[in-house]
Amino acid sequence: MTLKTGVYICHCGSNIARTVDVKQVTEYNATLDSVEVARDYLYMCSDLGQELIKNDIKELGLDRVVVASCSPRMHELTFRKACAEGGLNPYLYTHANIREHCSWVHRDGDLATEKAKDLIRASVRRVCHQEPLEVKEVPVNPDTLIVGGGIAGITAALKIAASENRVYLVEREPSIGGRMSQLDMTFPTLDCSECILTPKMTDVGNNPYIDLMASSEIEEVSGYVGNFKVKIRKKARFVTEKCTACGDCVKACPVEVPSEFEEGLNKRKAIYIPFAQSIPNKYVISRNETPPCKLACPIGMDIQGYLALVSVGKFQEAYQLLRRTNPLPSVCGRVCYHPCEDSCKRAYIDEPLAINSLKRFIADEVNVEQIEVPQITPNGHSVAVIGSGPAGLSAAHDLALLGYGVTIFEALSEAGGMLRVGIPEYRLPRDVLRKDIGYIQKLGVVIKTGTRIGEQVTLDDLERDYEAVFIATGAHESLRLKIPGEETLEIIPGVDFLRTVNMGRKVEITDRVVVIGGGNTAIDCARVARRLGAAEVHVICLESRDGMPAGSDEIEQAEAEGVIIHCSHTVTRIVSDDGHINGVECLDVRSFEFDEEGGVNIDTIQGSEHIVPAGTVILAIGQRPEIPGQFDLSLGRGNTIQVTPDTLSTSRDRVFAGGDVVTGPAKVIEAIAAGKRAARSIDSYLKGEILDIEERPAPERLSDQEIAELQELHPAQKRVEMPQLAPAQRIGDFTEVERGYTIDQAQEEAARCLACGGCCDCLECEKVCEPEAIDHNMKDELIEVEVGSIIVATGYDDFDPGVISEYGYGKYDNVITALEFERLSCAAGPTSGEILLKDGRKPESVAIIHCVGSRDQNYHEYCSRVCCMYALKDAYLIREHTGAEVYQMYIDMRCFGEGYEEFYKRLCEKGIHFIRGKVSSVTDHALAEEEKGKLIVTCEDTLIGSMLRVPVDMVILCIALEPRSDAEQVARLFNISRRPDGFFQERHLKLDPVATPTSGIFVIGCCGGPRDISDTVAQALGGAGEALAMIGKGSVTLEAAVAAVSADTCIGCGRCTEVCEFHSPEVVKDEKGMPVCQVNEVICQGCGACAVACPTGAMSIRHFTDEQILSTVDALVEV
Amino acid sequence: MTDFEPLIIAFACNWCSYAASDVAGTSRSYYPANVRIVRVMCSGMVDPTYILRALAGGADGVLIAGCRPGDCHYISGNTKAEKMVERMKILLHRLGLENERLRLQWISSGEGGLFARTIEEMVDRLKELGPSPLKEGKGKGA
Repeated sequence: MTLKTGVYICHCGSNIARTVDVKQVTEYNATLDSVEVARDYLYMCSDLGQELIKNDIKELGLDRVVVASCSPRMHELTFRKACAEGGLNPYLYTHANIREHCSWVHRDGDLATEKAKDLIRASVRRVCHQEPLEVKEVPVNPDTLIVGGGIAGITAALKIAASENRVYLVEREPSIGGRMSQLDMTFPTLDCSECILTPKMTDVGNNPYIDLMASSEIEEVSGYVGNFKVKIRKKARFVTEKCTACGDCVKACPVEVPSEFEEGLNKRKAIYIPFAQSIPNKYVISRNETPPCKLACPIGMDIQGYLALVSVGKFQEAYQLLRRTNPLPSVCGRVCYHPCEDSCKRAYIDEPLAINSLKRFIADEVNVEQIEVPQITPNGHSVAVIGSGPAGLSAAHDLALLGYGVTIFEALSEAGGMLRVGIPEYRLPRDVLRKDIGYIQKLGVVIKTGTRIGEQVTLDDLERDYEAVFIATGAHESLRLKIPGEETLEIIPGVDFLRTVNMGRKVEITDRVVVIGGGNTAIDCARVARRLGAAEVHVICLESRDGMPAGSDEIEQAEAEGVIIHCSHTVTRIVSDDGHINGVECLDVRSFEFDEEGGVNIDTIQGSEHIVPAGTVILAIGQRPEIPGQFDLSLGRGNTIQVTPDTLSTSRDRVFAGGDVVTGPAKVIEAIAAGKRAARSIDSYLKGEILDIEERPAPERLSDQEIAELQELHPAQKRVEMPQLAPAQRIGDFTEVERGYTIDQAQEEAARCLACGGCCDCLECEKVCEPEAIDHNMKDELIEVEVGSIIVATGYDDFDPGVISEYGYGKYDNVITALEFERLSCAAGPTSGEILLKDGRKPESVAIIHCVGSRDQNYHEYCSRVCCMYALKDAYLIREHTGAEVYQMYIDMRCFGEGYEEFYKRLCEKGIHFIRGKVSSVTDHALAEEEKGKLIVTCEDTLIGSMLRVPVDMVILCIALEPRSDAEQVARLFNISRRPDGFFQERHLKLDPVATPTSGIFVIGCCGGPRDISDTVAQALGGAGEALAMIGKGSVTLEAAVAAVSADTCIGCGRCTEVCEFHSPEVVKDEKGMPVCQVNEVICQGCGACAVACPTGAMSIRHFTDEQILSTVDALVEV
Repeated sequence: MTDFEPLIIAFACNWCSYAASDVAGTSRSYYPANVRIVRVMCSGMVDPTYILRALAGGADGVLIAGCRPGDCHYISGNTKAEKMVERMKILLHRLGLENERLRLQWISSGEGGLFARTIEEMVDRLKELGPSPLKEGKGKGA
């Protein structure tokens, strides 16, 4: 059968005909095979043009149609429809683009004409291979998703809801309102922004058809037009619907952070609503990542919490918070090596918070003996703990709180372990330790002192009498040096020395003492020796000064007390005379390293032998545990007990171990952590539960950019020094050296905390919340909704003017952004609407710099469209409120909207100075008397052609509107594209301004480019109209150009299923049981990946078959 | 050889590059009339046979124009096209064709100027290279 094709060539007025010789092209086309008729017409898309086609189909019996006109993206659908109306299947039509691809891009008429002929010839060839296709109609889900709750999203939501169809309005921030809620007055009418916005916000909150999800973000979008599936993450607000917005929680919250809504001009609490009229009117707790101090703490203390409570004077509450994680707060506040301080972010600015000193302050400030202990219900189970050091006490404390009956067996006559006998009293006074132990005893823990397990009582006895045993006997046996003289002479082991002194017994020492070792024990021995009257004390250690294991504070204090430290030295022998020690012989050390067995290889400097004279030698090079053989436990290196690290269980059933006895000598806080872990492990073991292992990541180092941001945000402020006894006073006795903060000092220091975690988990808000609306354990919620269309209204970001360093933003206090000015002039803002300089004075002169980041090749080339007008409005407000002189430095005044030009004229009459020119710099470098104390704006006035220096008090920067920083991810999420400027692209700039190339997804407002409120609202109504049109029709047509399988040639290999991103094809069994592919046409997007991948050619895309495309190619390359 | 006018077949993705070629039109970004654009739904739809057929039939160069990485309307069609073009270049090399006769270019939908520039560059380069060796006397400019 011969096909009859009609070819129609459009002049498009003169758009095509001016370049392409339409008549010649028409004549040429008439000669082509299959062409029945070729016509040209002035406007083929007009009704008359379309009628031509329809008539020809009917009268000439055309069975193929080609139109050559503008881009098919413009009118392909128009002509398909015309064909259908003429009675021809619309897929038997092809479009040749001879305007955008030909007449508009080529100047040479002959070449353009030839090209037009080629393009039409190829279309005629192609159309002959096209097949009739049927389109599928699918129902449209009448619900709509709107992403972004600014004025655009609000307007669209209300309009759609007015039709009584459901709208899901998703807003990332805790309240809707967007940028408009931050504005003071709106141009040109000077309406109060909040006054016209908040009634709309309330309507959204009250509308039964609007499902408002604040603090929520879109996670995933799938499906297709009319039938999208959307996953939404509702972020935990930590405050439930029960909240009545009474605000009591705000008074209780001790944490202050910069307010985002107020552009950082003042502070808000960690529990807050962004502004008074927030919708939803429910409070929210802002929580950042876990603060580094908490991550670094081996027991994960709520450090930021107790610092915040100290800063507001809630010392009792702070103590309770300490106790939540730390069983020995008074002890820890004195002896902890505070890894938290090493990770404190404040250290990037000046010095870390004095966390440990503040902890001590809290513990000292409350009377521990009067603190009520919690009510405990005994659970009837019993646990024995061997050793009353920090590990044993901590395990006992936590187990007692869980209801266990706990008995601690202590070999010495007093409880405390190393805390009691290893740490000198000037660092940890006895009564402080006694108070912490006393509290634990009040919990019901029984401490049996003077009971060494292995002597009167055996481990077997404990195993029999208790359900579990925790061994925490520490490491009390001094290591030996193995050098000549060590065995025969009276060398004093360090821990023995400290124990004897700490137990109040006398130790004989000479006037000159040598302590060997570089750890805390060595330093403690040296300082004790000074206090016992030794005139000269030398510490000799292998390590360099920086490598010494002792805390740097301890070393400094020791040196202040006259202790002489010899670093990088090794002792080779004890020098003696007739059994009396005369000193030690040392060698200088170049380097050393520990081998795998724990031995040490030392590279000494030959010939550096020298003698340090001394009558007493104390050896403090480390300790190891003493484990009685009858314990019958697997032991590891250094005589330590081997345990499973997570559970601390030993080789004996029901016996656990932790602290120094497992790790060798370590820090107090690590022993406490081990005790706490043991308590959890024993509890889960006895309950037959699986132990929930806590994993805390290590704090990460900040990037250079993060550090710069911190430094910009927070001014430096030195830490409050801990008052100490003068060195001369110290060596007289064992009085505590560090005296502790006063209340004022503590509050001043605590206020330095940056509150990096947001909410500090102090739970003060929970205590005051009457409706019990606060839930600190709330988790994010993932919900899925199904919608027919999606309206994207995600708004814009402000340009950061700090990158234009010449303008001094961030450097000079009174250089502010226009948005900061909005907050300053707003009656509800931080200054109650007073336009003030940072020092509280009223400005006498203000410069407003236009186009900061816009119309600038270095940043954004586009015009931000709203700045000229708000600059005029700002000028008006400044004149009204302060009477200050106002200078507008502009490039062009663009006042194009309704009433805008009139507003501009009014302002011109108000005595505002207009200077046309781009500002080159803002500085405080005064050259003349009248410039002193001012900001000098340097600018060329291009109208008079001279450079100006304008001294002012305040500079307002009209910053560009720019695409959201996450616009790229959002574009991918919704499968929409972006223009080169980064904003979302509309389907057609003029004629289809809110649709996107992806059917069913619309963009409105500033996410599609800078717009003022009026234009944004108009767009929002446009978007609502698009969605309502779909809902009204109730169905959409799906693309017919989707994949199709030829069952004859498909071998069911599944290559198509591997390449398809949409899971459309799947391999199924045919009636003979053979594998064959099947396409789900509703899901198929028609991309063609499967057709390329198919090895047999069984898979093809309808309307884009190989035959159709190859016939086009063949026609185009023909001579 | 000075009057040699090469013929380029351009396969342009409907969503980005074809739209960009329209933008070139609306913004009157002139470029040489040596190109014929074939609209495909995705650059990943271009089968190797289309390229071979164009070159064997008389084209001097082939352009595959797709969305920028990450912008593909079908998620990964452009990266599939990229792999295909890599393989095709090896094949063309074996057939004795210059590497630059096949070009892959990412052009997003607003980049009309880039589309025009790409054609200009290709035409200039193909003029230097001369007619395709596969042409054997066929083709527009021969």
